[in-house]
Amino acid sequence: MPQRSYTDVSDQQVVVFAQEGREDAYRELIKRYERPVFSLIFRMVRDKETAEDLAQETFIKVLNNIDRYRPEFKFSSWLFKIANNITIDHLRRRQVDTISIEGSPDAVTAERARATAVTVTSGGESPLEELESRELGASIEKAIAKLRPEYRACIILRHVEDYSYDEIAEIVKLPLGTVKTYIHRARQELRQYLGDLR
Amino acid sequence: MIEHDFDEEFVPIAAELQRLPYMSPSRDFADRVISRIDRLQAAKGVAPVLASRHLELHQGGQQAVVPRRPMTVMKATGKAVVGVGLIVAAAFMFFEVDILTAILSAATTQYAFAVAAIGAQVGAVVLGPATIGYLQAGAVEAALLYMTLVVGLVGGYSAIRTAAHIAKRKAA
Repeated sequence: MPQRSYTDVSDQQVVVFAQEGREDAYRELIKRYERPVFSLIFRMVRDKETAEDLAQETFIKVLNNIDRYRPEFKFSSWLFKIANNITIDHLRRRQVDTISIEGSPDAVTAERARATAVTVTSGGESPLEELESRELGASIEKAIAKLRPEYRACIILRHVEDYSYDEIAEIVKLPLGTVKTYIHRARQELRQYLGDLR
Repeated sequence: MIEHDFDEEFVPIAAELQRLPYMSPSRDFADRVISRIDRLQAAKGVAPVLASRHLELHQGGQQAVVPRRPMTVMKATGKAVVGVGLIVAAAFMFFEVDILTAILSAATTQYAFAVAAIGAQVGAVVLGPATIGYLQAGAVEAALLYMTLVVGLVGGYSAIRTAAHIAKRKAA
């Protein structure tokens, strides 16, 4: 089957090609969403290997059930929903409610803790701006890591992924009011943590 | 861009949240995912482990059996002769077979030999080489079938021996 370009093709159309069994369509969906999904999961579990395993599990589950996708919903919402479920299940199994800002709770050595600690990169700025941005970015990453997993998912989906409250409620399978409350509390806690750091 | 629904104090934090960079998984992430997509692997002819178990049930277990070469006529004949010979020797040694019984046994042996040889060939044609291979692969079913054949042979021999005894008594 010849490779085709999916540059201007919508997610829904790529899904249709994937449903026809085209490998390049599967790869396109992975290419589009591997970084957002991996980032969301990583920010929730704070361990690269675990995040990669969970992201892989997410894609395998979604792509093996691609025929069940309902086009009236955004593909990304469906994907994030599965990612969130898998991650929350993992956190519940591991009972990791509060994550260390210095590294993964799974880290057993100092080296491992350093490897799993949050690092933030940015680009296109002067060295001073980059340093300030990196410091603030790192502070925000640390502050996010202190939030409860449910708050973390909601605040990331709202402010990093730009989802509406309704979409977030659908993704995290919680009532709209609960989502609004979680996001409000998450904002308060972030402000408090970042205020303490400054 | 989402609409503002938070106070001014949170604005710089919201701006920073939006600037948080994406992180990348390892380079072979897509390949690892693709290798676990059932539909794609089935299309490539590489059945995943779970699928192969499913397939195996559908195909009567033949997928799990290593194909064996079909038994030749000479081999089948040789095996039949050795088998019947062992049974006759056991009959002489352990059951004190008399001469008449021995003569009848010899006749039976020749008959059984012919039946065994023909039966093996007919079985190979009817059941097919794959099924014969499956039976020869040491499955429980094969063992049961062989045991049934042995019991039948011994039973047949006993019946002929009894008939010989009756005939001898009548002659006496």
